[in-house]
Amino acid sequence: MKRIEVKLALPVVAPLLDVIKGMADGLRQNLAAPLAPLDLDAEFSAAWTGELLDAQNADVQALLAMFNDEFFSEGIIAFDEDNAEPIVRATAAIRLRLREHYLKPLGDETLESGNVELDRLDEPLRKAFMCYLFLATIQELIIQHLDSSILDS
Amino acid sequence: MTVAQSKTQGSPASQSATELEYEGRWRVVVLNDPVNLMSYVVLVFKKVLGFDETTARKHMLEVHEQGRSVVWSGVREKAEAYAFTLQQWHLTTVLEQDDVR
Repeated sequence: MKRIEVKLALPVVAPLLDVIKGMADGLRQNLAAPLAPLDLDAEFSAAWTGELLDAQNADVQALLAMFNDEFFSEGIIAFDEDNAEPIVRATAAIRLRLREHYLKPLGDETLESGNVELDRLDEPLRKAFMCYLFLATIQELIIQHLDSSILDS
Repeated sequence: MTVAQSKTQGSPASQSATELEYEGRWRVVVLNDPVNLMSYVVLVFKKVLGFDETTARKHMLEVHEQGRSVVWSGVREKAEAYAFTLQQWHLTTVLEQDDVR
């Protein structure tokens, strides 16, 4: 089984986990992406949202499980064919939630370009933006190395 | 039954109206968002819709540059299944009825 291990700088990443955990908590009852109207009846719409929430929560748990004992002792996180797909989806969910809760003041154009002067941001916004970048890096790594596993699964 | 599978059940009385409402072709439209990475959107299009790399990139760029892309069209039931799965991957997706018969 293909497995990718990444060694992270614990002092840099560990402080971001509180933000990630906070966003994960918020996703328990809320979908990350706005649910555009699909012209569904109320009962079906509730079932639709419920199934999306269940799937989203399972993905987020897979992401949080990445930060296990090995991460806290060695700074290592690992991706493989089993967790790549849920983690890549969970990173998208948490990034969307970060935008909704912290990053809107930056503006969408800035978010898309990524051109942000970190030193000019206040602490909560800076931490949130660092999370946003960190999760994008994880996502890129998975797509770069495990996309065939995701496409074949 | 999961949401992704089917909606077309209901009382016999409402059945014919529902069938009429859901006749015709429906478009699955993905809308732009400022968060999801281009490489992620390409992956999702390949995974969910079975696009090859070139087609997936073409639709991703359409979403990015024009704000939306029609990624599939056909019967309502299958359009709902695609919309559900794309939403599971956190892409903002809507269904539109295709008036052209």
